[in-house]
Amino acid sequence: MTSGAQASATGRQASLEGTVQPGATVQPEATVQPGATVLPRLLSASGRPADLAEHLRVHGRLLYRGGARMLIHSIESAGLTGRGGAAFPTHRKLTAVADQLGVPVVVGNGAEGEPASDKDKTLLWSSPHLVLDGLQLAAEAVGARRVHLYLHREPALVRHLESALAGRAAAGLDRLQVGLVTAPARFLAGEESALASRVGGGAALPRFTPPRVFEHGVDGAPTLVQNVETLAQLGLISRYGPAWFRAVGTEAEPGSMLTTIRLADGSGGVAEAAIGTPISQLLKLDRYPARAVLVGGYHGAWLSPEQAGRLTLSNADLRPLGAAAGAGVLAALPVDRCGLVESARVVRYLALESAGQCGPCLNGLPRIAASLNQLAQRRSTPADRDDVQRWSALVERRGACHHPDGTVRFLRSALAVFTDEVTLHEAGRCSARSPEPFLPIPAGSPAREEDWS
Amino acid sequence: MTTGTVFWYASRATGVVSLVLFSVVAILGIMVNRQGRLPGLPRFAVTGLHRSLSLLTLAFLGTHIVTAIADGYAHIPWLSTIVPFTSGYERFWIGLGTVAIDLMAAVIVTSLLRTRLSPALWRAVHWLAYVCYPVVVVHSLGANKDLRSGWLLALTMATVFSVLTAIGYRILAAAATVPRPARVPRQLVRADRTGSLR
Repeated sequence: MTSGAQASATGRQASLEGTVQPGATVQPEATVQPGATVLPRLLSASGRPADLAEHLRVHGRLLYRGGARMLIHSIESAGLTGRGGAAFPTHRKLTAVADQLGVPVVVGNGAEGEPASDKDKTLLWSSPHLVLDGLQLAAEAVGARRVHLYLHREPALVRHLESALAGRAAAGLDRLQVGLVTAPARFLAGEESALASRVGGGAALPRFTPPRVFEHGVDGAPTLVQNVETLAQLGLISRYGPAWFRAVGTEAEPGSMLTTIRLADGSGGVAEAAIGTPISQLLKLDRYPARAVLVGGYHGAWLSPEQAGRLTLSNADLRPLGAAAGAGVLAALPVDRCGLVESARVVRYLALESAGQCGPCLNGLPRIAASLNQLAQRRSTPADRDDVQRWSALVERRGACHHPDGTVRFLRSALAVFTDEVTLHEAGRCSARSPEPFLPIPAGSPAREEDWS
Repeated sequence: MTTGTVFWYASRATGVVSLVLFSVVAILGIMVNRQGRLPGLPRFAVTGLHRSLSLLTLAFLGTHIVTAIADGYAHIPWLSTIVPFTSGYERFWIGLGTVAIDLMAAVIVTSLLRTRLSPALWRAVHWLAYVCYPVVVVHSLGANKDLRSGWLLALTMATVFSVLTAIGYRILAAAATVPRPARVPRQLVRADRTGSLR
């Protein structure tokens, strides 16, 4: 009986791998095609947005697998992780949603609230069809019948996606019609539970978990939320296979990822990089020296130039320091700026972006922000620094979402990396020579309920 | 005092005490909401007091009901503890008391099951307390003629006035509520104003 069960399991696996539409080229997993290490993979190589004709010329039609869960095995072999910031294994999320009782909803998350990140928007402009392919494939993999794309409320971007969807409908590519839902311009609007609430017609406010979104999300249905970059990777892996995907990146963290780069000279943009690329290479630190490097965005962490100089863009390198590759934000703070002033601006922005739902966030973050501002303005004493540390411990892990935790992580790394500057400020001095703000902070904080929906 | 009059007086007395306690429970319930709280008391203390006092009220109320039925003079059937308007004695006024018991039972049972119910359902049932309170007051005034004069009337009026004042305060407080998105900016302004915050 045991051997019979094994045989049938093997047989099923074989048919799994064999289920490919006629005419499609199947690559054996052991050999890597030539050109597999060429980047960019996700962004259009021409630099112009890839329209449907170009997308089909470069990648061909998307290959449905013919049933739920069929794609999950390839995703597991590929080792794809979520590109929204948490780097959660995608196949586990797909399996968790497919295992739920109800009919799942799939939402592509393109509403990066992180002001320092542009990669999702850039991807949606550059390769909308890869994302939309991935959306259909994810929906097939979990057996969903409802699919949404959640994106910034920018009329031009929405029109761009609408016309992409219209083109796909005419070509008969999509099995499920994709509903576009726009997000308010809030830092937390892309948080999973906020997204589920917004797609369900409510305000984009985070809620307490559990229940997690994968079991109780949009309108109470099990919901798969995947970052648009993860979906685009899904579209590529489904075509070119796990071995191709693993041709770049590290063994533990394979593949490429989109990064938003800010060089110390003020230039920058979105670039695709293999995971494991040295940070100094991405930020050209030898040419543009930096006072410090911010990785992972405003819920991320500061690194000293020495740390940044010896680390690569990978969680294996960054996690031991309390940082993470996150959604691929890398910013080199120019040497003539003050890290405390920049950090105080960011923490103030983060405090204002609190949904104001949980006491520790509502009462704690404004105090921390005000105190840090005192420090940045050279009006504080060492006792204030102790206060900030104490309050930080009080808000940690006490919010419905990770907003207080992320804010505290950022703040602590600032106090650690800019220790000398803290001492200088407490003595009433500052080493910065330029008052010009460096990190991008959007104007306007929420004041009305409508600002969240 | 004979055996019969003990029950009679016990029932009257516990009834009056229940009314006063219920008023206090109602006031505590009205005063504690998302933003308002009683001066000098943290919110969890107010809800804790609200809960404990309602239990105490229940003890007095139980005695009030049992002694009223046990009292040989009035002849109130046991059925009247649950089904309204089944008492031969003072059918209407006693019936109102039964209505109040039923409403209270709904409020208490849903509160005990609160963690297992949706907040919206719990809230909707808890609002029945606002119906229950006037029913209790009318039952008290109707069934007990002692309450219609003298210092017992004054006591009743004082409790009713206190509850109405609390409701008025709550409505005014709700009107002054800061919308949720504006709360953090307000806190930040406050924090900035106090400087180093110590």
